[in-house]
Amino acid sequence: MKRRYTIIVFTENNFGLLNRITIIFSRRRTNIESLTVSDTERKGISRFTIVVDYDENKIQKLIQQIRKIIGVLFVFHNEDEQVFYGQIAYYKVATQNFAAREEVMAVAHRHQAKVVYSVDDYIIIEKTGKKEDIITMLHLLEPHGILEFVKSGRIALVKDQYRFSQYAKNIGPEGWYSDEEFHELKDPERTTGVSY
Amino acid sequence: MALVTEKTVKKLYDHPLHHAHEAENILTKETDQVVNGSEAVILSLIEEGVDTIFGYPGGAIMPIYDALFHHRDQLNHVLVRHEQGATHAAEGYAQMAKKPGVCFATSGPGATNLITGIADAMLDSVPIVCITGQVAEPYLGTDAFQETDVMSLAMPITKWCYQVANPDEIPYIIAKAFFIARSGRPGPVLIDITKDAQFKEMSIPFTYEKRKQIKGYKPAHAPREKDISNAVELLNSAQRPFLFAGHGILLSEAQEELKTFVEKTGIPVASTLLGLSAFPSEHPLYVGMLGMHGNYGPNVLTNQADVIVAVGMRFDDRVTGNLERYAKQAKVIHIDIDHAEISKNVPATVGIIADAKAALVELTKQVETRKHDAWLAEFEKCYEEEYQKVIQHDFTAEAERIKMGEVIRLLSEKTNGEGVIVADVGQHQMASARYSKFNRTDSWLTSGGLGTMGYALPSALGAKMGAPDRDVYAIIGDGCFQMTIQELGTIAQTGQPVKIIIMNNNYLGMVRQWQQLFFDTRYSFVELANPDFITIAKGFGIEGHQCNHADDLAASIDKLINSEQSYLLEVMVEKEANVFPMVPSGAGVDQIRLE
Repeated sequence: MKRRYTIIVFTENNFGLLNRITIIFSRRRTNIESLTVSDTERKGISRFTIVVDYDENKIQKLIQQIRKIIGVLFVFHNEDEQVFYGQIAYYKVATQNFAAREEVMAVAHRHQAKVVYSVDDYIIIEKTGKKEDIITMLHLLEPHGILEFVKSGRIALVKDQYRFSQYAKNIGPEGWYSDEEFHELKDPERTTGVSY
Repeated sequence: MALVTEKTVKKLYDHPLHHAHEAENILTKETDQVVNGSEAVILSLIEEGVDTIFGYPGGAIMPIYDALFHHRDQLNHVLVRHEQGATHAAEGYAQMAKKPGVCFATSGPGATNLITGIADAMLDSVPIVCITGQVAEPYLGTDAFQETDVMSLAMPITKWCYQVANPDEIPYIIAKAFFIARSGRPGPVLIDITKDAQFKEMSIPFTYEKRKQIKGYKPAHAPREKDISNAVELLNSAQRPFLFAGHGILLSEAQEELKTFVEKTGIPVASTLLGLSAFPSEHPLYVGMLGMHGNYGPNVLTNQADVIVAVGMRFDDRVTGNLERYAKQAKVIHIDIDHAEISKNVPATVGIIADAKAALVELTKQVETRKHDAWLAEFEKCYEEEYQKVIQHDFTAEAERIKMGEVIRLLSEKTNGEGVIVADVGQHQMASARYSKFNRTDSWLTSGGLGTMGYALPSALGAKMGAPDRDVYAIIGDGCFQMTIQELGTIAQTGQPVKIIIMNNNYLGMVRQWQQLFFDTRYSFVELANPDFITIAKGFGIEGHQCNHADDLAASIDKLINSEQSYLLEVMVEKEANVFPMVPSGAGVDQIRLE
């Protein structure tokens, strides 16, 4: 059965790694729902957040193929309830008159969104949250005229700190593990049981 | 041009014959330390211990070939006739010499011609390092002459690839490439070097350091204690244990450790196609080959074993047949250095992610000494049945033309199972795999994973160059031969003695067999009108003759073996013979057909 997974990958910041990672999905004919890549607070290390719908029996194999790419430091997958996640969205909404503007701002306010830019004929609203909330607000703003809308891919933090630290504990500022721990680290979940 | 690295300068000073009056000389040489990218490539290869390169020059790699010219006494360059030949030759070389093979090719068509060979090396875990020239950096992405996006082409079929546009990176990247190619699960790497990086001088002095580790990549080595003890527990209670020996045994050079392990535990050993010659075929515990055209016993009894120990093999679909019917009753101990292989196709009860040698040593220490005579006798019984129904018929000509099995049996007998057999892809490959006897390890090369027709001829040349003291026999079909026939020129030019046997049935035999069995004998474009291979070989300066009749076979093979030079023997084999046993595609291993 297909489930939604948030795959978190830490890599060295190398040319072509993004391509190598996406090849794993495309050769398995899997659509990536969203993909966010950025540098991290650690020098030379990038963080990928990949959202896919994938067969629960096969996800482990996909993860292992990503894991063996040279330059991938660690990778693990999470189900939605295991991560705190969100997206950011910007709405450019037409505001013909003062009343319309008031109304739009009221909608934004009710949805914990804020106005980040404003000119005579439109305002830009910034909203963070789950996809559903972002889409709900989009529908509410639609009658006013959406001039432009964009939302980012998902970013996520792992809820279980112990689990995360098992993977991440030896990423130093140089992104390097100690030799002894590296093997173990490649998949700490193996320590809980031998069979898959 | 005099090139003196820091190291060599030091060596000169340390040299007992060093005289003060030479110091000036050395100092002037020292300023030459600043080398350009091309020289850095060549010096790096020399430092890495490379002595043989298979390649083909062209526009974008000319600076490197110019640097190579100055070092042609240290690096033996083999000019192939097609870049695909270079990759296969490098594969053969790598597997026999036990170090990465090296290929050079130019940009564009040169690089794209490498692709088949690189993919072949990827699937069969062969370490090769390919260096391609690329258009100068300012031209990248502009559809310049002979520009292809080699990085994107190579990415899915290499273990690692990298584009160099700055000469300073060259020594580090080459060291990294060799480390990645040979360590862990070996594989092909590709380095694409822009033409301006080849010309430009390095801004730092050239130094080379062999890599032992790199960031972001740490191949497994030692097994975990817990996995070992779990495996030992299974092994000690097993009643019908069965061991599969794969290519990993050869890659980690664990032949002796495997022998010690199975002799202690009494486990029968079957080999995968690529694992052949890792275990002596005359050993009492050896029961044959696995897979679609493997032996009857190993296939059928896979579904009766209670514990399967898979070492350095990946449960390829040609081994397992239908996974739904594969070894469901067995507990599987899977030893592989590549984490991604464990439980990929067959769920592992115990997964040991480690070097095969290290894992076998640990297992041997802890397992009990046991015997499984009754279990072994079942394999014996299966072999008897297979012998009656298949093997004896494969050894005796029924009609005028010769049987492939007979050729292989005779060759094996006459070489005492000590030659290196390089098989191409198809019926003759399966005959070679089934009927070759191996008394010596590292005696078998073939294209297993990718099934690349045309593999054998160039690979045999590489194998001969990688192990000059071995006799190399390329077994090639008439279809395969015409895919890389031009490499006869390379063989002739190098003067390496490569013995070639063409099994000529005027058909693409394996495809014809499938059409006969599964497509109601509709032979759709599988018949070949062949040229006169002997005349062609003679045109290249290689002697040969045709063998038409079973009575002449022994003498023909003698002539081939005894030839001091390369020799081509064309054997006219039976046109419509089929390879059996066979696990039809989609069937389980227990549904193997003997006829």
